[in-house]
Amino acid sequence: MKTKFDSILRSAVIAALLVLSLLALSAQAASTATENADALMRKANDVMVTGDLEAAITIYLQIPAPGPEGDEGQFASSRMQAARLEFAVKDYPAAIAIAEELLAVYPDNIEALQFRDSVKEAMLPQWKRLMNDTIKFMPHLLKGSLMTLLLVVFTMIISPIGGLLIALGRIGDFKAINRLCWFIIWLFRGTPLLLQLFFIYYGLPAIGITLKPIPAALIGLGLNYSAYLAEIIRSGIQSIDHGQMEAAEAMGMSNWQAMRRIIIPQTYRVILPPVGNEFIALIKDTALVSTIAMVELMRTADQLFNASFNITVLGLAAVIYLLFTTVFTFTFERLEERVGAYEKR
Amino acid sequence: MQPLLELKNIVKTFGSHRAVDNIDLTMQTGEKTVIIGPSGSGKSTLLRAINILETIDSGSILFEGNDVGYRQVKGKQVLDKPKNICKLRTQIGMVFQHFNLFPHMTVVENAMEGQVTVLGTPKAEARAIAMSMLDKVGMSSFADRFPASLSGGQKQRAAIARALSMKPKLMLFDEPTSALDPELVGEVFAAIKQLADDGMTMIIVTHNMGFAREVADQVVFMENGSFLAKGAPDDFFAKQCKDPRIQSFIDRIF
Repeated sequence: MKTKFDSILRSAVIAALLVLSLLALSAQAASTATENADALMRKANDVMVTGDLEAAITIYLQIPAPGPEGDEGQFASSRMQAARLEFAVKDYPAAIAIAEELLAVYPDNIEALQFRDSVKEAMLPQWKRLMNDTIKFMPHLLKGSLMTLLLVVFTMIISPIGGLLIALGRIGDFKAINRLCWFIIWLFRGTPLLLQLFFIYYGLPAIGITLKPIPAALIGLGLNYSAYLAEIIRSGIQSIDHGQMEAAEAMGMSNWQAMRRIIIPQTYRVILPPVGNEFIALIKDTALVSTIAMVELMRTADQLFNASFNITVLGLAAVIYLLFTTVFTFTFERLEERVGAYEKR
Repeated sequence: MQPLLELKNIVKTFGSHRAVDNIDLTMQTGEKTVIIGPSGSGKSTLLRAINILETIDSGSILFEGNDVGYRQVKGKQVLDKPKNICKLRTQIGMVFQHFNLFPHMTVVENAMEGQVTVLGTPKAEARAIAMSMLDKVGMSSFADRFPASLSGGQKQRAAIARALSMKPKLMLFDEPTSALDPELVGEVFAAIKQLADDGMTMIIVTHNMGFAREVADQVVFMENGSFLAKGAPDDFFAKQCKDPRIQSFIDRIF
C-alpha cells in the first residue's frame, strides 16, 4: 500500500514539476520575445536619431506580428513609425503598404486608417487636392460669408443715414447738437473698432443692456462707420460752392429742400471715392466681429483651420474677401462715372 | 398807385462798416432801376437785402404794401418765419454774377426745379413753362444740355429763364454780365432788354453805362452805401455826370 501510494505521489510530484517547468519555459519564451521586440524598438529609434531613416525602417519592420513570437503594442507602434518614416522619405506607396499590413491585423486601428487616408490624399496631384479641399471647405465658408455680407449690407444702409445726420448736425447752427455730433465723431473715430465692439457686447451688460451678437455688431459697425462717413459727407457738403445754396434759397427753397435737391446730390461726385474706400474697409472690418461670438467668414475660416491645419482654408477665405472687394471696387468705379457725368463737356 | 417795392431807411453793417447806409427806394410795377457805382459801394448788398439773402440791421421792406422779411419781437426786429421768407422769394427772381446754375441738372430741369419743388407745379406743366421761358431767352435748343457744356452767355440766359419760370413779380440782376467774356455780354443784355420790353419790373446792378441808358427808367449812383445821385437816364447822364465823383467813376469804366 505504502509503496503504491509513494509511487503515485512521486508521479504526481513529477507531473507537477513538469507542468511547472513547462509553464516556466513558456513564460521565459514569451518574455524573450518581448525583450527582443523592445530591443529592436530601441535599436530602431537609435538608428532613426542618426538620420538613417531607411535603416530604421528595416529594423522597425523586423518586429514581429502578435502571436507566439510577437507583441501587440510594439507591433502597432513599430508599423506606424515605419509608415511615417516612409511618408517622410516620400515613398507614399510603401507607407500605405505598411499601414495596410497593420490594418490586416487590426482592421479598426483608427490611427492607421486616418494615416492611410491622408497619405492617399497626399498622393493626389496638387490641383486635385486643392479641388477636394475647396469642395470640402467652401460650403462652410460661403455660409459664413453670408453673415459677412449681411453685416456689410446693413452697415452700408445704416451708416450713410447716420453719417448724413451727424454731418448736418455738425454744419447746423444749433450749438448743443453741434457739440453732440462733434463728440460722437471724436469718440468713434478715436477708439479702435475692436474696443467699441467689446464695449457694446461685453461692457453694456454691466449697465443692464444685454445685446445679442448681431445687434451688437450692427450697432458697433454702424456707429463707427457713421462717424467716418459724417466727416466725408460734411467735407462734401462744404465743398459745394456757396452760390448753389443762395440760388436755391433765392427761388424760395427751404433749407432742407435746398439740401435735398441741390446740395446733397452734388456731393455724390465728391464723396463717392472716399465712401467707396470706407465700404471696402468695412468688408474687412467685419472680420472683427468674430471676436464677439459672431460666426461670419473670418470666424468660420479660423474654426476650419484650427480643426484641419489646412492652409487652403485661409486661402479660400482670402479669395472670398477679394471677391467682395473686387465687386465693390468695380461697382464704385461705375457709379463714379455715372454721378460725375454731368461735369463732362 | 401802390408801389411794388418800397425800401425805407435800409441799414446794413458789416462790423463797423456801413455797407448800406439809410437807403430809400420806391419801385412801381413795370419800372426798371439800374444801380451803378464802384465796387464795394453796397450795390450787391442792397440787392441781396431785398430778397433777404442779407439780413438788414434796420429799416423796412414793403412788397406790394406789406412789411416783409422781418417782424417785431419785444421791440426788436428779427427775421420772419422761414416759411414767409420763402414765400416772398418765390415772387422775386434773382440772377447772379456767377449764374449759379445747378450743375447736376439739365437746363430745362434747372428751370423746372423751383416750380416743382417750391410751387408744387405738376412736372408736365412745369416743363411747358420752363420751355417757354427758355424760348424767350433763345435757349430752348439747349434744354437738355448740362450747364458744364454751355458758354458763359448761354449759362446766364439759362439762369434768367430759371428765374422767370417762377413767374416772379420782380427781377433782381446782380452784375449779370461781369463774369462774361466781352463778346458774350450782348446776348445776355438782349435777353434782359427783351424782358424789360415785356414790362417786367427789375433792378439791375451793373457797370455797363450803355445798357443802363438803354433799359433804365431811373439810374441810381451808389457810393459808400448811399445814393449819391438818382434820375432818369438822359437827365442822369446829362447833368449828374458833372459830379466829379460820378465823373471819375464813369471815366474809369470806359
